Amino acid sequence: MTVVHVEGLRAETDTRTLVDEVSFALAAGRVLALVGESGSGKTTTGLALLGEHAAGVRVSGSVTVRGNAGFVPQHPSAALNPVRRIGAVFREIGDEAAIATALRRARVPEELLDRYPHQLSGGQQQRVVLAQVLVGEPAVIIADEPTTGQDAITRGEIVAELAEVARQGVAVVILTHDLDVVRALADEIVVLRAGRVVAAGPTDEVLNSPRDDYTRALIEAQPQIQVPPAAVDREPRLDVRELSARHRSAEVLHEVSVAAGAGQCLGVVGRSGSGKTTLARCVAGLHSTWDGSILLDGTPLSPRHTQLTRVQYVFQDARASFDEHRTVLDQIARTSVRLRGASTTEASALALEELAKVGISSETARRRPASLSGGELQRAALVRALLARPEVLVCDEITSGLDTITQAGLLDLLAGLPCTVVLISHDLGVVSRLADRIVVLDKGKVVEHGDAHDVLSDPRHPVTIGLLGHTIKEAQK
Amino acid sequence: MSLGRYALNRLAFGVVQVVAVATVVFLLVQALPGDAAVALAGDDPNPERIEQIRTSMGLDRPPLERFGAWLWGLAHLDFGTSIVSGRPVSAFLADGLAPTAVLAVLTLVLLVPLSVMVGVLAALREGSRLDRALTSISVGLHSIPEFALAVVLIALFGVQLAWLPPTAVGVGGDLLGHPEVLVLPLVVLLARPICSISRLVRAGMIEALSSDYVRHARRLGLSVGRVRFAHALPNALAPAVQQVARTTDWLLGGVIVVEAVFVIPGLGTTLVDAVASRDLPVVQGLAVVFAVTTVAVNLIADLVAFRLSPRAVGVR
Repeated sequence: MTVVHVEGLRAETDTRTLVDEVSFALAAGRVLALVGESGSGKTTTGLALLGEHAAGVRVSGSVTVRGNAGFVPQHPSAALNPVRRIGAVFREIGDEAAIATALRRARVPEELLDRYPHQLSGGQQQRVVLAQVLVGEPAVIIADEPTTGQDAITRGEIVAELAEVARQGVAVVILTHDLDVVRALADEIVVLRAGRVVAAGPTDEVLNSPRDDYTRALIEAQPQIQVPPAAVDREPRLDVRELSARHRSAEVLHEVSVAAGAGQCLGVVGRSGSGKTTLARCVAGLHSTWDGSILLDGTPLSPRHTQLTRVQYVFQDARASFDEHRTVLDQIARTSVRLRGASTTEASALALEELAKVGISSETARRRPASLSGGELQRAALVRALLARPEVLVCDEITSGLDTITQAGLLDLLAGLPCTVVLISHDLGVVSRLADRIVVLDKGKVVEHGDAHDVLSDPRHPVTIGLLGHTIKEAQK
Repeated sequence: MSLGRYALNRLAFGVVQVVAVATVVFLLVQALPGDAAVALAGDDPNPERIEQIRTSMGLDRPPLERFGAWLWGLAHLDFGTSIVSGRPVSAFLADGLAPTAVLAVLTLVLLVPLSVMVGVLAALREGSRLDRALTSISVGLHSIPEFALAVVLIALFGVQLAWLPPTAVGVGGDLLGHPEVLVLPLVVLLARPICSISRLVRAGMIEALSSDYVRHARRLGLSVGRVRFAHALPNALAPAVQQVARTTDWLLGGVIVVEAVFVIPGLGTTLVDAVASRDLPVVQGLAVVFAVTTVAVNLIADLVAFRLSPRAVGVR
């Protein structure tokens, strides 16, 4: 039975066309993926199924949905009201029987109803939002970028949930650019580019033998995990032994031991909340409640000034790590002034020279952070850290939130560094490009540690296997 | 952190605050120029007479000893006796409390619903003529000091138009028996806080109405009213509650001015008289009462805000 029928959908503003003659149909229990990069018109199309459009957009064509349409928004954490308990909102949207059914269908345990959204994990929040949508007995569910920014294990869980909903007879439309998820979940695919359909059909057919250049480019841009050659053993420069760290009274790291040699890259991977950032903050001297030892070239790290110089930290949110009122150049040159005792003119000249190497012109550097892109700021932050001539450079999720091309450029920069790099990421695709050694953390403990070649080619622990994306592939039909 | 544990922590902190304020008040009063003994000794004092009065009042004892005795008394709710009239300080407090409490409580009772209403109305009609008019009035009204507003209102409604009594002279402490005398003082006390709080409610409401969770709630099929008042409003209120507490601090000062201008025999008037006659125990007692009130109001506001934004404390 056809649930969704879209014929000749157009959406335009006064100046441009967002969606141009899009047509597709979807039967109950089937999954359709609308694929395309940002600006391709997939969100506009998805909203049109709900009968919604942004202000100033004119929609024409015919959209028929037999039954209700439910929408699962992109960030479940933002879609849940921070001051309302989960159960209270459920009781507003449905009667007891409908709630119980929806909770069972989305596999939300009853005890979550007494909690506030911030007391749930990301995966639980996602399931709660799905259950809320299911209370309305929708004939079709539209899921907007359900896996963006999630680690591979969570992505696998989301795929399984949506597959289950489809099995229950609901038509599912996912808006995404994650082709792994599309392969695992979707029966049909519509590839959109600048509002036009460039390819459409059964998923296997479209993705296995792409007929157009754009679909081919999308497939190639998908990050892949490459297994690097075995690394040469080196004398450890950074040596962390039995490190246990606490936040207030909760232990967040438990007897973690890792090591990396000069010029080597240590990849630290794990799901969110596994203790990756705490480990990095201990090494950089930013976290103070820990036991164990952190050795640099065989001697314990001394706190304060020396540690600042020897260990530098590049933060996930580059924009937040700059003062918005001062020029980028000022802030970067300050490293040399503060940590290496250079004069202001020397420091500026040196900073400009280093910035030029990463492709930031002196004109750009003299502007304030607000007028630089996220990628430019992240490169500038890297230069700022490197001007301290650190022996250890900590990079905390520095590529998340950047597009694939910018991401590749930044990783190439890191690859050429003489210092020891601690690279934190939940994305093994990123880590596999650089890491000589990999440590996998789970709930504050090391579950796998070794040569990158060994860890990637022969993962042992379920978390590593999950992060490698095997769970998504297993969910494939 | 649970609400109970948070409340205990804040309560303990509140006790420390009150003791600290009591200490500072004592030190400040010591530093006041002039001396009760000199004031009491009359127009033509001779040194022996002053010395005699000083000894009889215990002013010759070392400050630390007097401070200790005073704190010990406070702990037993004994505020001491007035050195001017010999009445217990608690009697002064009891006399002035009723009019001041009537003013303060009525102000707060009217303040919260009025500012929430104005703020929500402006937010729902964001950018409209009504919104712009409310914004202009708020900014204008907020910049008029209360004594100036009081004098203008008395001149206009009390004297020129004679709609309302210009002062509370003749009414004594029985304000509730003559509600017409309360109108102008309440307008003066409400004018500024309504402006600032309604601005906060408006800003919070606008932000909440454009949030993802409100959009999501609408898509779940909830009614407009429920989305606005059960989903958006609680998020908009948290910052406003803190502002209400700050306003209450300000209100204690405002009450002193308003009582003076409208001649209301409340704690404010008592304080002004006591300072003028160097009646140190009364000044100290009132300061402590004001401090305890401030700490208590802030404690309550913090607890309400904690309940309204469960993420605020205790996570991370």
